[in-house]
Amino acid sequence: MTRERQPGQRRFSPASIGADVVLLAWFLFSLFPLIWLVLLSLKSESEQISTFFEFTPTLSNFATVLSDEGARLTSVNFTEALLTSVLNCVGAVLVSLVIGVPAAYAAGRWQYKGSGDVMFTILSFRFAPELMVIVPLFVIYNQLGLFDTNVGMIWVLQLVTMPLIVWILRSYFQDLPPELEQAALLDGYTRKRAFLMVALPLVRPGIAASALLAFIFAWNNYVFPLILTGSSHTPVTVAVTRFLGGGGQAFYSLTAAAAIIAALPPLLVALSIQRYLVRGLSFGAVKA
Amino acid sequence: MGSLSVRGLTARYGKTVALHGIDLDVVDGEFFVILGPSGAGKTTTLKSVAGLVDAVEGEVRIAGRDMTGVEPYARNVAMAFESYALYPQKTVEQNLASPLRSGRTGSWSVAEQSERIRQVTTTLGIEHLRGRFPRELSNGQRQRTALGRVLVRPADVYLLDEPLSHLDAKLRAAMRAELKQLGEMSRTTTLYVTHDYQEALALGDRVGVLRDGRLVQVGTPQQVWHEPADTFVARMFGQPEMNLFSADLTADLAAVPEGGTAARSRRGGITVGVPASVSGSLSGSVAGGAAGGSVLLGIRPRDLEVLTGPEPSDRLVLRGRVTLAERLGRLVELSVDVAGESVIAVTDDQRVREGDPVSLAVPWEQVHIFGGGAGLDTGNGAGTAAARLGSGAPVSPVVDVSAASGGDR
Repeated sequence: MTRERQPGQRRFSPASIGADVVLLAWFLFSLFPLIWLVLLSLKSESEQISTFFEFTPTLSNFATVLSDEGARLTSVNFTEALLTSVLNCVGAVLVSLVIGVPAAYAAGRWQYKGSGDVMFTILSFRFAPELMVIVPLFVIYNQLGLFDTNVGMIWVLQLVTMPLIVWILRSYFQDLPPELEQAALLDGYTRKRAFLMVALPLVRPGIAASALLAFIFAWNNYVFPLILTGSSHTPVTVAVTRFLGGGGQAFYSLTAAAAIIAALPPLLVALSIQRYLVRGLSFGAVKA
Repeated sequence: MGSLSVRGLTARYGKTVALHGIDLDVVDGEFFVILGPSGAGKTTTLKSVAGLVDAVEGEVRIAGRDMTGVEPYARNVAMAFESYALYPQKTVEQNLASPLRSGRTGSWSVAEQSERIRQVTTTLGIEHLRGRFPRELSNGQRQRTALGRVLVRPADVYLLDEPLSHLDAKLRAAMRAELKQLGEMSRTTTLYVTHDYQEALALGDRVGVLRDGRLVQVGTPQQVWHEPADTFVARMFGQPEMNLFSADLTADLAAVPEGGTAARSRRGGITVGVPASVSGSLSGSVAGGAAGGSVLLGIRPRDLEVLTGPEPSDRLVLRGRVTLAERLGRLVELSVDVAGESVIAVTDDQRVREGDPVSLAVPWEQVHIFGGGAGLDTGNGAGTAAARLGSGAPVSPVVDVSAASGGDR
């Protein structure tokens, strides 16, 4: 029995099936490192270098990473490293928000001589390689006594978080019709109150999205803490790599377990906040 | 309450000049309408008065106070934006309460606030919507909320930017009538911007016609209707637009060349006698000197009457053939070919059919003459030919024009 196909109805041609196969293959290929990471984290020390999929799963790696045994192996307490990372990243994002939100508002609303240059300079923090500035920073940090401190890390992470927040939020502010604040001005509010009362609440989704992105970028940053922290304020990215050993034995399964633990906080943050990421600015303030 | 005075207001957006030295005086309590096509600078004028536009030159005085360097929130003006600019995160009630809570429009207790809001929302018919957010309102309701945010507060000047533009035609007419009766409106100096000539004529104590950042004419509704300063103003008012014909001015006769180039009709070209006083003032402004030049004749479609009886001798009679008859309910809009010129006329005579020969009559005093035109400039809306009578002589409408014999009439 053959039924006539309606326009737009799905059709299975060799080309479309081929495309699906290619996509599936690519999906598996790109996901494989993650799968391998999870498998590796469940393997015992004796099985960690075998490439067979058959092994006895164990959770002992996770326990080891979080225990004193892990600290003994790497001379860094992984639990403390987690806390350090949380402190550094939250601190860096908060500082960036306090400074960056008004900066983004100003950048989105007012053009002045050199405003484009200022924005470009802020953006250039993002695309300049971190290794380019790390040597002078190292010297400066040593002289100022900021080496291996939380304040020092929060400060240097501004290079990561600030440009993101300013650039993302600027476009959010630009999308807001300026007439909203103008209406507030004519209602008798000062520019500061118009900003706080009208503009700021409307970019909350943007603040959430940019803060999350900034948090993830700060969390994943490796080069700055590698050079600018010692053993007392090591963040989690550096702590993970300590399990690979420095000349000693490489604990691949412990590294994998540590990496998974380290990936959990940003993942949880992303899940909890994702409705802000998806939701656009559909307000109905201005005529469509 | 207060007067508004604007001197040499010039606004620029980059290299574009939006306003070329606007001069305007609005007396205390007056309802002043600015009429103009889109892009003429209407909104810019309002925002300049409100202090919302940077790079503005000139002087703005509100209630006698010079506003140079005064922040918008200290000017004591209220404005309804064409885009409504309602706070999306606030309900209608909170939107209306916003100006009352700022502390700069007087101090209001919570009870006084809600009483004022209740009054205004009742007047505007949005009382039942007070708990809704702007996104839950129709465009008409949003527009009324925006208007309410203005009316709820006392101010020296109300600035209203097309407050009725997004309503449907019937609601607009109803709101226009209501607006006129609002007490707040009648007591407060109001600058009202619109592109709808009917609104301008119905609402304005005075009307200013704005074109390309210049005020072309300021006057009472009667003045701008009966004595348009140029063809641009003439065409702004009235639907359908005024018929315009370019005519050659020789001595005291203005004659429309017959039938364009082809001279299809031997009968009845349009020729109007021009009184010496008018022709004198015209020839001053017309290139070519006293001997002649070109002028534009203007006749409003509704001033033309379809003749059924004998042709009167005391009126200008145009003879032609109906090329198109659009029936719009009670009225019929006719396109009539008069000696090669297309003339629009509006009649309530339902018997007229396409192809019929008709005679149209118009009183002499209803014929407008515009001087200085290099040619018929009906193409664009800019009226660039500056068809304006020289030296400010109030010669239009032309009164007392002697009947001229034209062609074989």
